[in-house]
Amino acid sequence: MVEPSLVLYGGPYERAMDVLEETLRETGARYALFIDRKGFVLAHKEALWAPKPPPLDSLATLVAGNAAATQALAKLLGEARFQEVVHQGERMGLYVDEAGEHALLVLVFDENAPLGKVKLYGKRAAEALARLAEEAMANPPKLNLDTQYREEAKALLDELFGN
Amino acid sequence: MSTINFANREINFKIVYYGPGLSGKTTNLKWIYGKIPEGRKGEMVSLATEDERTLFFDFLPLDLGEVKGFKTRFHLYTVPGQVFYNASRKLILRGVDGIVFVADSAPNRLRANAESMRNMRENLAEYGLKVEDLPVVLQINKRDLPDALPVEMVRAVVDPEGRFPVFEAVATEGKGVFETLKEVSRLVLARVGSGA
Repeated sequence: MVEPSLVLYGGPYERAMDVLEETLRETGARYALFIDRKGFVLAHKEALWAPKPPPLDSLATLVAGNAAATQALAKLLGEARFQEVVHQGERMGLYVDEAGEHALLVLVFDENAPLGKVKLYGKRAAEALARLAEEAMANPPKLNLDTQYREEAKALLDELFGN
Repeated sequence: MSTINFANREINFKIVYYGPGLSGKTTNLKWIYGKIPEGRKGEMVSLATEDERTLFFDFLPLDLGEVKGFKTRFHLYTVPGQVFYNASRKLILRGVDGIVFVADSAPNRLRANAESMRNMRENLAEYGLKVEDLPVVLQINKRDLPDALPVEMVRAVVDPEGRFPVFEAVATEGKGVFETLKEVSRLVLARVGSGA
């Protein structure tokens, strides 16, 4: 298929959550997401004090689209990639770094999080997540989805879209 | 390939609406968004120009519900149809699980349909994919145009071998919109666990 799908569960998933949690603590960021390059959220963590985040699907999709465009730009300029990207607004900021070939780390932070810390710990977290992603790619889980899954899914399709 | 998130027990599929400029890809998504009940859909994201032409993509997440303990979700995307937006169009195809090709029935868009299908083949080839490898549904849209070409004529230029399921549609009125989506969803689901 197009590219190997990144699947995260069990041990690697728990460790990814730990990395995200620690990164939130060290940086003071609001939300930390681990997403694949297709824009699907693999794991996410919100700081307890932070307000409700915007829709994470939208966030992940836009970040992935943005990252894809940025990488295409890099290639046009003869670079394999650009380093991490920081978008800085008046109050809110966004840090995006590659976590290996197939995934991205996203940190959303406000003015209370020092940018230096976001970059320093963001980079470390991205490296740790890249290793987890590699591990997950190397050991894809067995998919035990059978015809029963397909039948049930079909029934839901009928329910949602009508016959 | 579908993305399976075991921790959250989620299975995600990516469906892309492809086709020439102004053929009605965004209209399809808007109709779906308008009809799907709250709780089964997320926010619709549109990156469009001031005159509402899609610039990068539209995005709509749909929840099918829980199947065998797995939350099953479809992520619907459109591509910008205009010829000169190919760089971003190619990006959207990354990781696609199923495609709806929205063809325009207008006589002066026949060539654009063929051109767009050719472009889709080229873009997929860059990911090492053939159209034949993917579930593709052909939607022949704008059947309400007074000078709409016969379905068979439109089909002949985009799918000469008659390989894809075909649906006629008037997306502005919702005609054929769900039927198309349901078919592509069915085809995508049929590949789950079948080793594809």
